[in-house]
Amino acid sequence: MELSQVSVGFAGAVALRKASVSIAPGARLGIVGESGCGKSMLGLCLMGMVPDAGQVTGSIRLNGQELVRAPERVWRRHRARDVAMIFQEPMAALNPLKRVGDTVMEPLMIHEGLSRSTARARALALFEEVGLPDPAARLRQYPHEISGGQRQRVLIALALACNPGLLVADEPTTALDANVALRIIDLLVRLSESRNMALVFISHDLAAVSRATDQMLVMYGGDIVERGPTAQVLAEPRHPYTQGLLGARPGLENRGRTPDGRRKRLVTIPGTVPPLHDLPQGCRFSGRCGQEFAPCARQRPQPTALGQGQEAACHLLSPLHAGHGTCRGAA
Amino acid sequence: MSAPLLQLDGVSRRYRMPRTALLRPPPVLTAVDDVSLTLNAGQTLGIVGESGSGKSTLARMIMAFEAPDEGAVRFQGAGLNRLSGADLRLARRRFQMVFQDPFGSLDPRRRVGWSIAEPLRATGAEDSAARVTQALYQVGLRAGDAQKYPHEFSGGQRQRIAIARAIVTRPALLVADEAVSALDVSVQAQILNLLMDLQEEMGLAMIFISHDLAVVACICDRILVMRNGKSIETGDTGALIAAPRHDYTRSLLVASGIET
Ligand SMILES: Nc1ncnc2c1ncn2[C@@H]1O[C@H](COP(=O)(O)OP(=O)(O)OP(=O)(O)O)[C@@H](O)[C@H]1O
Ligand SMILES: Nc1ncnc2c1ncn2[C@@H]1O[C@H](COP(=O)(O)OP(=O)(O)OP(=O)(O)O)[C@@H](O)[C@H]1O
Ligand code: SF4
Ligand SMILES: [Mg+2]
Ligand SMILES: [Mg+2]
Repeated sequence: MELSQVSVGFAGAVALRKASVSIAPGARLGIVGESGCGKSMLGLCLMGMVPDAGQVTGSIRLNGQELVRAPERVWRRHRARDVAMIFQEPMAALNPLKRVGDTVMEPLMIHEGLSRSTARARALALFEEVGLPDPAARLRQYPHEISGGQRQRVLIALALACNPGLLVADEPTTALDANVALRIIDLLVRLSESRNMALVFISHDLAAVSRATDQMLVMYGGDIVERGPTAQVLAEPRHPYTQGLLGARPGLENRGRTPDGRRKRLVTIPGTVPPLHDLPQGCRFSGRCGQEFAPCARQRPQPTALGQGQEAACHLLSPLHAGHGTCRGAA
Repeated sequence: MSAPLLQLDGVSRRYRMPRTALLRPPPVLTAVDDVSLTLNAGQTLGIVGESGSGKSTLARMIMAFEAPDEGAVRFQGAGLNRLSGADLRLARRRFQMVFQDPFGSLDPRRRVGWSIAEPLRATGAEDSAARVTQALYQVGLRAGDAQKYPHEFSGGQRQRIAIARAIVTRPALLVADEAVSALDVSVQAQILNLLMDLQEEMGLAMIFISHDLAVVACICDRILVMRNGKSIETGDTGALIAAPRHDYTRSLLVASGIET
């Protein structure tokens, strides 16, 4: 799947700006950023499911075929065969009045024309594959009768039912307890490897993205501000926003007390993400960034390649402002 | 020596589950099983454990929303379960709670100033605008924010409002149940710092409940680990993280990214 220069606009506000992303078979890509930064919007572009009010421009290609203006009918065919998504609201995706087995069997019978008994056998195999305990009994249960972690496994089974080449998982572990979340992440990684299935993993949890993916994007205000190999970006974040996100996560250095007896504080990013229509001109992160300098308020920073596939869009890193870049970016 | 701020002695809580067969007695679930703990003024205690381990049930008993089936909860030496309704109301000024979902806990049709003053009214304290304004300042909001409605605030700001409401009676104990779990890490860090500021300025004691050990470790002096309703391990934060005695505690360390 290949997005190039994809933007999504809503009545004057831009929710996604000129995003170019290419996803190879079997690749695992993480998307992080604060709430409202456009992570889900990017995921919805991959599924052809941007809300009707959104204007999509640019190019979205699947196996070489241009889909950006494709009618819903074409997208629906792809969603049945090639791409699948686990949505942010797990309860909304399951019909409370339907046994979870029937929910998984239905698309198999409709899209692949399987008989009921063959579909049931496939659903059972899927439930086994996603590690649901006692899978045969689960088929007959209703959503409210199983735990949150088990419900998420059912949704993964549903998404896998038609053997997609790409799975978009939007915050699949956010509602779950940490131990359960860990098992779901490991399951997604295992499935992506065993099926050579590409995985787009959207989360605001950096630890989850670190475990689940090998490439990552950092989004702010609809822009991709930094990208690269996950391990590289997390070890050496170069964009001040990425640095801020990493610093905010409680770690060893935040534990205990300072010599004057006060508890150590966490590093924070001041303020909050402004509403879309109110984002600053120039760098979107200006106003919250601690390293702002002259060009930031006026000029939109362009991505600078930083080696090993890492790039970030910040004036500090741009060769045009080289003096700043070396002395302050390194600090 | 004076009595500790909060003391739990062998506290248990059982729930009757739906009957599975007509002639058998309904099964009973022990949500909290024989938990004891002591908390002194100004101290912070973290409670961690996987989902369903009984953390919120324990919090509800500390807040006297529910009575234990066994054992006693004592606040400044007084058994909470034996207080009369009026005395309990008065005592509530001294302990307050912040919940996970700030939207659910704020009335969407009321101005936030009204919601923040609610504990003042509920405990028979004077409902004063000055107290509300001060609470708003303490959580980093402005006096004018009292006139706005919850939907006009971001998730992090709503959590600040919930905290303002919890500190408006100037309590000695704050119980925070998954108070930052739903927030972005950047906002989570702001709220954690705010709680540390308030804790130090007001000398607040705090019970901080979360399934994320990394968060608990940065704000608490001591940690209590719960599993299946039981307290299985408790200790100073540094020691517990450096040398956990249980594999279960170690699995929580891995899950929160402290250990790999
Ligand atoms: N139908 C819509 N009309 C107008 N704006 C919209 C619409 N849907 C989404 N947006 C805006 O698009 C922006 C990006 O939203 P998106 O859902 O992608 O954020 P996100 O990064 O997934 O956040 P979260 O972590 O909260 O899920 C938001 O600012 C949102 O307000
Ligand atoms: N009112 C109730 N009736 C019946 N069972 C209950 C009730 N409240 C809680 N339980 C059960 O008691 C156990 C402990 O629940 P509790 O909410 O205290 O867990 P928790 O540790 O707070 O979990 P989480 O991290 O998911 O919030 C669970 O098995 C729960 O299903
Ligand atoms: S361009 Fe300027 S404001 Fe934007 S992140 Fe870089 S230094 Fe900060
Ligand atoms: Mg989203
Ligand atoms: Mg709970």
